[in-house]
Amino acid sequence: MATIAELMRVLQFGDSLLPVGAFSFSNGLESAVQLGVVRDLDSLRDFVRAAVEQAATSDGVAVLSAFRAAAAGDAEGVDRADRAVFDRKLNEEMRTMTVRMGRKLAEMADRVIGPSAASAWLGRIRSGSAPGCLPVGQALVFSALGPSERDAFAVHQYGVAGMMVNASLRLMKIHYLDAQAILYEINADAEDAYDRVSGRSLDDMAAFSPVFDVLASLHVGAHVRMFMN
Amino acid sequence: MTADTPHELAPYLDEPPQLRAGAFGKDARLLLRFERRGGRSILAEMVRKAPLLVQKALYCDEGMPGLPVVFIITNSGGILQGDRYAMDFAVGPGAIGHVTTQAATKIHEMDANHATQVQEIRLDDGGYLEYLPEAVIPFARSRFLTRTRIRIAPTATLLYAETLMGGRKYYGDGERFRFDLFSSTVAAERPTGESLFVEKFLIEPGRSPVFRPGVMDDFDVFGNVILLTPRAIADAVAPRAVSAWNKADGWAAGVGRLPNDAGLIYKVVARESSVVRARIRDFWSLVRPEVTGRPVPPEFAWR
Repeated sequence: MATIAELMRVLQFGDSLLPVGAFSFSNGLESAVQLGVVRDLDSLRDFVRAAVEQAATSDGVAVLSAFRAAAAGDAEGVDRADRAVFDRKLNEEMRTMTVRMGRKLAEMADRVIGPSAASAWLGRIRSGSAPGCLPVGQALVFSALGPSERDAFAVHQYGVAGMMVNASLRLMKIHYLDAQAILYEINADAEDAYDRVSGRSLDDMAAFSPVFDVLASLHVGAHVRMFMN
Repeated sequence: MTADTPHELAPYLDEPPQLRAGAFGKDARLLLRFERRGGRSILAEMVRKAPLLVQKALYCDEGMPGLPVVFIITNSGGILQGDRYAMDFAVGPGAIGHVTTQAATKIHEMDANHATQVQEIRLDDGGYLEYLPEAVIPFARSRFLTRTRIRIAPTATLLYAETLMGGRKYYGDGERFRFDLFSSTVAAERPTGESLFVEKFLIEPGRSPVFRPGVMDDFDVFGNVILLTPRAIADAVAPRAVSAWNKADGWAAGVGRLPNDAGLIYKVVARESSVVRARIRDFWSLVRPEVTGRPVPPEFAWR
């Protein structure tokens, strides 16, 4: 059982208002709304749920792999997970999103919690030897703070859903309580997602989201946009 | 099940009651090596083992008469449970080649085991390969895993397009993503071993619904085009690639830049395969002139 201090660290570093830049990204939702793929509560719920499910089987696997590497003091393993995330981001905005937030999280951890594996990783990001992807940053922060890999996974999954639901409030005419209800409902899937992916390795990282990928690439060329993706 | 058996195959390892998995007649091998000799490219080496067959390279491309074109033929009528295919394509320094299939690849219904395909593609300096197979059609209850490893020199270009249909759309009451498993991994690296990108699709429609926003929406066909090429060519192709969301005509397409300056990825979803085919052909028609200065000719009426 987590101590109160550990629980509060999860709350702080898992907060959707953590200043790492999530506010600037919609994770593809902006294009989806503009093009009518997402148009109401039901399609928003389905879209966010699909994105969160894909996040579990791809970046979520890297969170667990990086967490375990960090716990074992294996910096090479951490960088392997980092590289695995980066090499699987086939859209330039998705790469920008993950490395910008990853770096900001590392900088914050270095300042707020002091020297840790996240600081060493930040050094490698600055020297260009590590890409600096967000899921790896989350793994390193939570490994340094004491919570378990399950907590790191939960924060990762919550971050994806939270980012999209927060963006939906600025993109669609929906009631803020309905948005919270969607977030609450989707978060209930995370336990099963963890059980499904906890035994997987970096080579198993997989997703299938062609429409999501097309929307992300159309967003790169969009003229009118509120979000960076 | 061995340590390196992908987890998604675990439910599908039972031996077929007919020929055992990977038995003679089910372990197709194909090796094709293009080389530049005396100012032209030839198919310098060809190793084949049924059910995959190749006859010879044809110089039948009117836009590029010096291009050796190879049609892969199968004498088994498609991929069956327990099949283990392996293909190896190599393009030597400065050589060019085109590989396609004679018809769509049908992956038949399965009630035991699974089928796999392993592809190795290697391009040396200045090589150019167009690998544009016909669509893959996984029938209901089929289980298929394919792994492709690409090793490409920084000055070479590979255009590789895959088209996945959800099944026999107009067969019976419509076969749309009713297969058990379709797993596809493409990993590309430099000859030095430096990774360029990895893409793994894992489609298990029974576990994770396909027809929802973000996945296939209500589209039925998916085209995935990988262009590994030097940056100058990627820069020239990307702005001209047709990117649009055209719901009225039933398709959407978009181009993205691969990590590590590897090139481009062009994705198309559509309700009908003919639309995906046309988009891929448009993209191909941008790439070939940029790389070789030669055009892609109009499509043959009977293909």
